[in-house]
Amino acid sequence: MSPLQQFIEYSIVGIAAGGIYALIALGIVLIFKSSRTFNFAMGEMMMLSAYFFYAAAVTFALGPFLGMIVALVCSIAVALVIERVAIRPMLGRPFIAVVMVTFGIGSIIRGIVGMIWGPNDLQIPAILSRSPIMLGDIFVPGKTARAFAIAVVIVVGLIAYLRYSRAGVALRAAAADAVTAYSMGIDVRRIISFTWVLAAITGCISGVLMANVNTLTPHLGLVALNVLAVVILGGMNSIGGVLIAGFIIGWLEAITGLFLPTEFREITPYILALIVLLVRPTGLFGTKEIERI
Amino acid sequence: MAAVLEVKDLEVVYQGVIQALTSLSLTVPEGAIVTLLGANGAGKTTTLKAISGFLPLEDGRVTRGSITIGGQDLLKLAPHQIVRRGIFQVREGRHVFSEMTVEENLIAATFAQRAARSRKEAFDEVYNYFPILSQRRHQAAGYLSGGEQQMLAIGRALVADPEMILLDEPSLGLAPLIVKEIFEIIARINREKRVSMLLVEQNAVIALKYASYGYVIESGRTVLEGTTEKLSADQDIQKFYLGVEAHEAA
Repeated sequence: MSPLQQFIEYSIVGIAAGGIYALIALGIVLIFKSSRTFNFAMGEMMMLSAYFFYAAAVTFALGPFLGMIVALVCSIAVALVIERVAIRPMLGRPFIAVVMVTFGIGSIIRGIVGMIWGPNDLQIPAILSRSPIMLGDIFVPGKTARAFAIAVVIVVGLIAYLRYSRAGVALRAAAADAVTAYSMGIDVRRIISFTWVLAAITGCISGVLMANVNTLTPHLGLVALNVLAVVILGGMNSIGGVLIAGFIIGWLEAITGLFLPTEFREITPYILALIVLLVRPTGLFGTKEIERI
Repeated sequence: MAAVLEVKDLEVVYQGVIQALTSLSLTVPEGAIVTLLGANGAGKTTTLKAISGFLPLEDGRVTRGSITIGGQDLLKLAPHQIVRRGIFQVREGRHVFSEMTVEENLIAATFAQRAARSRKEAFDEVYNYFPILSQRRHQAAGYLSGGEQQMLAIGRALVADPEMILLDEPSLGLAPLIVKEIFEIIARINREKRVSMLLVEQNAVIALKYASYGYVIESGRTVLEGTTEKLSADQDIQKFYLGVEAHEAA
């Protein structure tokens, strides 16, 4: 295989992996936009969702389709409980205090999952076909490609929903100016709950996809740390920004793996995020206020 | 249809220690325009925030007194419920959602609607009062001029179809001609839709011209009230708010 072909192949695999990053990042950004809360428990919410899927599909033998529905419902329920019990009372408190609460929630979820399902890898039913996809001579692993396709469909659907629906207008209004949103009759607290529901959905889908591409372990959620770099790079409040950043980071990881020893894969996203932050503190696409001319 | 708004002996404290209102009372009768005059920091905006239920969002609290509309206690309601009860506040500084289009700003206000009314019907009414907004409907609100932003802010109130509009400094930062145009439309809305209004204005001349009744507040309490005719004739008002004495001296 020629070096160019290899480069293209790694690039495609990397970008495909970036699709899931974008999906996870979207959940983080939605919560951040509505309540200025950085949800460090996102990775654990994903991981828990994948275990819900395992329990429903395998333990209760419901099969992948019903299993996915059960996992979604349970994930949404958990997200609503977290928001209601731990996050809502913290609204208006310093940013760092709320962040620490989400950290704590992440640890609790990891602990509970370890107690129930144990530390070992579990195999979940294959919902993604393994058969590779050939683009000319270029080989794309089947699971990665299909996970990417699903992630893109969900992301596009969600963005269109937020762009064109009345609920999307309410969410953007609450994100831009909470007091004014209240003055329009928008219940901002309900909007915050709503973003946790959306985050639960993106987390559940990305968690099950992740567990399919790799395996299911209590450490599945650690991938969200890479997503942290994505969100910093894209700009915390920019949906479009984190999507592009997701693909950039996925691609960068794959390309680093091609040229450098594997240890570098772990750190390159952060090096890039750091450089971007030094040059542009709002991230690549963090929004500036439109000034009246 | 509109009900009487009554504020009685209101005391408001911010952050548990800062007293912003000590004893404020006012009444806005059905269909009237009532104005609230006072110097900076007298408590005008705080009064409007208390009525709209915004105080908890800024760590403020009503510690005494009552606010009722048609006998219903507003202090028990959350801000979005107060809006849906029919009291819409147009905030100081306009606060349009600058990154959203004009039309999306109007859509946001549909959450305040009480009765089912088609979006088209509501928006047509806004565009009827403010034709310029119709031309700009797909533009980001941040690119509108100051006057157009104020029109949009009032347009959002029209979408909500409220019983009462609280207007906080609608003339702020606008050219005199635009101020006149906007106040003419405010008066038309009051007349044609029988919406009562509580108007807070730095510009006492225009406030006394368009309102029928006024209150003067100082350091968080009501010190003077009366019809705007009577207030306009009052020597203290002329001296401190209308600058008549200075004018005569010159």
